[in-house]
Amino acid sequence: MNRLYDMEPRVMDDDMLKLAVGEQGPREEAGQLAKQEGILFKDVVSLQLDFQNILRIDNLWQFESLQKLQLDNNIIEKIEGLENLTRLVWLDLSFNNIEAIEGLDTLVNLEDLSLFNNRISKIDSLDALVKLQVLSLGNNHIGNMMNIIYLRRFKALRTLSLSGNPVAEDEDYKMFICAYLPDLVYLDFRRLDDHMKELAEMKHQYSIDELKHRENLMQARLEDEQARREELEEHKAAFVEQLNGTFLFDSMYAEDVEGSKLSHLPGVGELLEAYPDKFVIICLNIFEYGLKQQEKRKAELDFMECVQEAIQENQEQGKLKIAKFEEKHLLSLNAIREESELSSIETKIVEYSEDITELFNVLMTLEMQLVEQLEETINMFERNIIDLVGLFVENVQSLMAQCRDLENHHHEKLLEIAINILEKIVKGEMDEDLPDDVRSLFVDKDTIVNAVGASHDIHLLKIDNREDELVTRVNSWCTHLLDKIHKDEIMRNRKRVKEINQYVDHVQSELDSLECGDLLD
Amino acid sequence: MEVLKEKVEEEEAAEREEAAERAERGEKTKRPMEVRREETTMTQEMLRDLERKLSEIEVSVPEKLLAFTKDTIDTSKLPLSYQSNTLKEEHLLQVADNFSRQYSHLCPDRVPLFLHPLNECEVPKFVSTTIRPTLMPYPELYNWDTCAQFISDFLSMVPLPDPLKPPLYLYSSTTVLKYQKGNCFDFSTLLCSMLIGAGYDAYCVNGYGSQDLCHMDLTREVCPLTMKPKESVKEEEKAPPKKYAIKPPRDLTSRFEQEQEMKRQEAIKAEEENRRKQEEARLLEQENAKTDPLHGLRVHSWVLVLSGKREVPESFFIDPFTARSYSTQDDHFLGIESLWNHKNYWVNMQDCWNCCKDLVFDLGDPVRWEYLLLGTDKPFLSLTEEEDEGMNDDDDVENLGKEDEDKSFDMPPSWVEQIEISPEAFETRCPNGKKVIQYKRAKLEKWAPYLNNNGLVCRLTTYEDLECTKTLEMKEWYQNREDMLELKHINKITGLNVDYFKPGHPQALRVHSYKSMQPEMDRVMEFYETARVDGLIKREETPKTMTEHYQGRPDFLSYRHVNFGPRMKKLALNSAESNPRPMVKITERFFRNPAKPADEDVAERVFLIAEERIQLRYHCRSDHITANKREFLRRTEVDSKGNKIIMTPDMCISFEVEPMEHTKKLLYQYEAMMKLKNEEKLSRHQAWESELEVLEILKLREEEEEAHTLTISIYDTKRNEKCKEYREAMERVLHEEHLRQVEAQLDYLAPFLAQLPPGEKLTRWQAVRLKDECLNDFKQRLIDKANLIQARFEKETQELQKKQQWYQENQVTLTPEDEDLYLSYCSQAMFRIRILEQRLSRHKELAPLKYLALEEKLYKDPRLVELLKVFV
Repeated sequence: MNRLYDMEPRVMDDDMLKLAVGEQGPREEAGQLAKQEGILFKDVVSLQLDFQNILRIDNLWQFESLQKLQLDNNIIEKIEGLENLTRLVWLDLSFNNIEAIEGLDTLVNLEDLSLFNNRISKIDSLDALVKLQVLSLGNNHIGNMMNIIYLRRFKALRTLSLSGNPVAEDEDYKMFICAYLPDLVYLDFRRLDDHMKELAEMKHQYSIDELKHRENLMQARLEDEQARREELEEHKAAFVEQLNGTFLFDSMYAEDVEGSKLSHLPGVGELLEAYPDKFVIICLNIFEYGLKQQEKRKAELDFMECVQEAIQENQEQGKLKIAKFEEKHLLSLNAIREESELSSIETKIVEYSEDITELFNVLMTLEMQLVEQLEETINMFERNIIDLVGLFVENVQSLMAQCRDLENHHHEKLLEIAINILEKIVKGEMDEDLPDDVRSLFVDKDTIVNAVGASHDIHLLKIDNREDELVTRVNSWCTHLLDKIHKDEIMRNRKRVKEINQYVDHVQSELDSLECGDLLD
Repeated sequence: MEVLKEKVEEEEAAEREEAAERAERGEKTKRPMEVRREETTMTQEMLRDLERKLSEIEVSVPEKLLAFTKDTIDTSKLPLSYQSNTLKEEHLLQVADNFSRQYSHLCPDRVPLFLHPLNECEVPKFVSTTIRPTLMPYPELYNWDTCAQFISDFLSMVPLPDPLKPPLYLYSSTTVLKYQKGNCFDFSTLLCSMLIGAGYDAYCVNGYGSQDLCHMDLTREVCPLTMKPKESVKEEEKAPPKKYAIKPPRDLTSRFEQEQEMKRQEAIKAEEENRRKQEEARLLEQENAKTDPLHGLRVHSWVLVLSGKREVPESFFIDPFTARSYSTQDDHFLGIESLWNHKNYWVNMQDCWNCCKDLVFDLGDPVRWEYLLLGTDKPFLSLTEEEDEGMNDDDDVENLGKEDEDKSFDMPPSWVEQIEISPEAFETRCPNGKKVIQYKRAKLEKWAPYLNNNGLVCRLTTYEDLECTKTLEMKEWYQNREDMLELKHINKITGLNVDYFKPGHPQALRVHSYKSMQPEMDRVMEFYETARVDGLIKREETPKTMTEHYQGRPDFLSYRHVNFGPRMKKLALNSAESNPRPMVKITERFFRNPAKPADEDVAERVFLIAEERIQLRYHCRSDHITANKREFLRRTEVDSKGNKIIMTPDMCISFEVEPMEHTKKLLYQYEAMMKLKNEEKLSRHQAWESELEVLEILKLREEEEEAHTLTISIYDTKRNEKCKEYREAMERVLHEEHLRQVEAQLDYLAPFLAQLPPGEKLTRWQAVRLKDECLNDFKQRLIDKANLIQARFEKETQELQKKQQWYQENQVTLTPEDEDLYLSYCSQAMFRIRILEQRLSRHKELAPLKYLALEEKLYKDPRLVELLKVFV
């Protein structure tokens, strides 16, 4: 804006950031500690960089836990480099030279955004900011009232400032905002009173109702789509998506040039009428069977629950053991501390370390028990699920074979008709007119047989493809699942063993330190 | 002499046995004639003895209970139906007499029926007509249990004049209610009336009961209030085993050893059981040692409720004295002679050799139950009756009532007035509002609400021994207390007092158990945690510790335990009360805060104040079995150069299950420690506040005990003084308002209108005259008034002048007193004159205005307005 460019623009470099962090860090005793240790950028929660003549936002990617960032009174022209600051709640970019809102798509936690005194002319690109509560856009170039309708999507927005924009000069400005943003509480730093809201609502009732209606329709459509997508997902999970209709059959004929030509032959029409019905029935069979099998597989998955229960129970036991040990542990530590005689100290220490070993053994036994139990169960589950998948594949294959039979049958019929017609044409007995491109097929027997064969091949290919897809997907699902279960179990086991070791080490080291202390005393 | 006495006693004992035996057999309806004859001749002597003994028993009955006789009843005010019989009733009595004659003819060995005793006016009344079915307006009396309880509380019991015979008199329920006493027949008649009114299928029973029953002796019964309710064991439904349920690890212990162990345990248990049983049997024997010589002969009356109506699943007896229900097989009930309701009368024809255990209450069965009136609505319940022993000689009995009875005859309506219980009487319940019941090892006292000024309504004292000398514990129930105290439980042995409160105590107290009211002693206070801001549930105290349990706090605190050290000797600067005990250790536990990750959410923190240490234990993550721990030493140390050490790594010892980067930092630890220091201060403050609160509560409790004010509902218009006052004030105001209105309506035209002939319409001329007269009259009155004032004024001035004259004449000779008198008279007279002057001038000013006002009023008067319009 009207800032003097007398100072040279500065670059946000490491030194600048360090300086700022150091200045704004903890004070007094804590400050001494901080200086001693140094502050990591990723631990900084709040950062203030105002009046620094910054031209370009940069080097902020390390500040992962930053919640409050002030970049006001600089000469920034573009919002950028904030992608990593996903924890940001409070962002101040006022008094800069920004022309468009952008680069805020990752800041999903942002609640307070200030873009006061910039050169923004349009409100948009704020979709990701679902938690936005305060938006300051005063002293900008926003001229179109329709920008306000965009703000309707922010359900949490309570404070808005737009004064100093061309829109604010409109005499209907306040009413318009009141009407279109009914949840707003403060506009341009003033509270909106209820009376005003009522008036505004009355004034703009019709347009708002229309808007609402449109929004509702949109919402409904979205929900619809969502539901459909979910259904498809479900079918996909059952590996039988789009088998509940004519999709496969249609796809068979979609790329089949010859087939569509041949369908014009006399007699083929009737054939084609009955064919899809039968085909679709088989498809439906597959589909339903698939869904049923999916249910069965889901029922099998209560295995997970059982495993969780077992693990939980085992953990409880472990916790109990540790709690018991800890009680004793405190007592014995105190006893050792208070013991004055060296020999008895030593016996106690020996006793105590025995206790520790005992605890370790108990915990490890529990864990080994669990591992054994789980292994057994996992193996059982593996067997069952592989059987189930095998059965599913087998049955689907047999159903697909029926499809193929149907296709073969159809092919034979078609071939027969074709040859008949060829004979007729050869004999010149053909009465009916055939389209030219169809007639061109009936030059000799090879051509027509090839044509029919090609059509047939395409159909078979489609069916084979679908079958292959299904089988590979179900198999890969199965292997993935089993892999994951095995891996999870191994991970769990490793983690638990590590935890136990760590704990026992800790206890042991406590004892050792005590020993050392005693010896020193 | 001594010998003789002994002999007599021996005889008596023998005869008592005989009598008991006879009584038992006396119930049998079919007894061979000759045997009975033999016996009767044989026991002539015995009967005399018996009679003598009876008189002894009667003597033993308390004197005051016998006071309820006919003499005390004022019969003069009773209605006519009490004093005479209607024709129908006479007829019924004849029928009953006839029935009775036939009955005694056919069953000469049975006692005469209890059919028509005399009422309070010496008029014979049939028992069924004494029952007056009434539905009470109190919802509490709608169910049999509360109804029976009310009657047993409301009436005091008077034993039968002759315990072996039904009474000669049966008073009306209204009289019984009025005098609040009665015998078992009065009790059961009243109860029956109310139960039938409430829709039960109830009957009065005339039969034989045990001694305890007849004397309302509960000393051998365990008090129902002392019995602990049986805890219903809820069996948890086991989920069906899942397909992949984990198999338990293999059990490696020896089965054989287990079995042996089990056997051994069982043997021990069996032995214990045996010993216990023996002990019990011994105790029981001890208690039941005293047997009743008149067993089976004592006449009693109770109520039978048959199944069917009001969803009663099974027939049962109610003893009206104690309001207890018994099954029809109970040992206390030894036989039934007859039973009746408001419609009919049945005689039991079944054998009662086995008490009432074999009786079938199928009143429609004429073999078992002989009815007096035909055609009642009792259906024949079971048609598949067996040809039992009662059949052969019942044939003639069966016909006895029927042949000469008018088939259409039914029971005349009751002669008893409507049964009414006033609300005051209903609330007071017991006679004089107080009742004492003695149970086995327990005493129950009841009072009407508001009778005791500390709100005590019930007290149960439990004793250790049968003689009730050593108190075991006391339970006192209170009602309408302002401090919401509901129950006080005092254990005399341990000295533990437990007070229970209803919701609404100013400190949300629920239970307070203590041994002494001194602070810093063993005590437990429980609270209604939803009524408290801090969510405190329970605070336990011992001399050295204080434990608090919380729930539903925003900071998730669930538990705080404070250990106190010995109180330090302070200099006499401070007074004792502001010298709190030093805290040694504060342990706080927290619920899981779902907003924080488990390994950053503190589960327990211990402030070791004396050692300047703080221990933290975090919550356990769901996939871990160990939890983070951290310990801070908050000693401030000085290093070798004398600089203050702010933070060193060894000031914070921590164990982390999954080591984290940022927690290793000194800065983090330093900040955490600073925060904890503040929190320690806060916790200490809170603990201190808790102590103060305990003191406050104790003080409050003491005050409440001292004052024990009772609350009075605002709807209780009789007791609520404020309400009463308010109502009376309102009435007074209304009354005054009314008077004022009457005054305001004084009619100025009335005296003139009265002169005119009444009932005629005014003519115009009359109206004009009326107006003029009225105005003239008023003018005259104004002038009179002015004249009156003028006259008084003149009189006063004249008197003053005279006095002045007199003064001037005698001025020289006057004493100072006279002069003072004169002066004061002068000033008073002057005052009077001035007032009169003012009044006069004011009258002159106002008179024309008043005149004009009246004139205008007259013009507007509805009676004259039409007629005067023309002249205006």
